[in-house]
Formats: sequence, C-alpha cells, structure tokens
Amino acid sequence: MRRYEMMVILDPALEERTIQPSLDQFLTVVTTAGGSVDKVDIWGRRRLAYEIDKKSEGIYTVIDLVAEPDTVKELDRQLNLNEAVLRTKILRPDQH
Amino acid sequence: MAKPPIRKPKKKVCLFCQEKVARVDYKDTGTLRKFISDRGKIRARRVSGNCTRHQRDVATAIKNAREMALLPYTSTAR
Repeated sequence: MRRYEMMVILDPALEERTIQPSLDQFLTVVTTAGGSVDKVDIWGRRRLAYEIDKKSEGIYTVIDLVAEPDTVKELDRQLNLNEAVLRTKILRPDQH
Repeated sequence: MAKPPIRKPKKKVCLFCQEKVARVDYKDTGTLRKFISDRGKIRARRVSGNCTRHQRDVATAIKNAREMALLPYTSTAR
C-alpha cells in the first residue's frame, strides 16, 4: 500500500453540490480494493493558466489516498474515460 | 588607467534551505511564481539563487504545475 496524492480538474459546467457524490463514486474503486481515502479537498472553480478543451476555468480537487499501485492505475483509467474530467495527476508525495 | 571595478555579487541564499522546506509543492503557485519570469520561463539558478537540489525540485514542481494549468507554459503579457 502506498500513499498517493491525486489532483483532478473537473468540467466547470458541473454543479458544485454534485461534485462530492460523483467523486465518491469514483473513489469506491479504492475502498472496495482495501485502500482508504484520507482527504478530499475541493478547491472550487479556478482560472486555468491556458485553455483545456476550450474551457478557461476548471473545478480543482485534491484527494489524498492510500492504495495499491494497480488500484490507482484503474482509478486513473476510469477518471480519464469520464467526460466531466478535464485532467488528472497522480503523485507520490513521499517521492517529491 | 582606472581598473574596471571588480564586482562582488552578493551571495544569495537558497530560499528553501533557509526556511527548511522538506519538499517543494507544485500546488503552491504563490511561491513558484517567484521562480518564473513574466514570460513564464523558469529562472536560472544564478538568478534565483537556489541550491542545486532545490533548483531541481523547483523546476519539476513548475513543470507539474504547468501540466495542471496552474502555471502558464508561456504568457504573452508584454
């Protein structure tokens, strides 16, 4: 099990209150595989430094989690399939 | 003949060593912005005054931040 920090940029067209439930849905992959989600931090709407998919804003979220490498890979794959997700980044905080 | 004055540049101390920062966070755009020019380019070590290790950490952090659109790759301001 390793610690990961994940940043997800979501479509700004999403409503604020639907963010938490939809994130939880993604994170069930982690919890069912025996990992744990430590912290979900929703930064909210923020201007992008450059346009992504013709959008100038994005909803930033930062998630701290503990999971197996394969689980995280699967989570990242599922996030990238979803159209509401503009971009993701996964880092291991102990290595950076 | 006046000799050209020998410049003694003031020795800069690495900001991160001074504050004993364990890791340079790519999410901390306020700090990282000090190390990019107004064009968005990463400042050289002789300008920023960072030590070898922290300059490398700053560079990776800036690159990570750029990927997540927290910092610009280029900015045409000016």
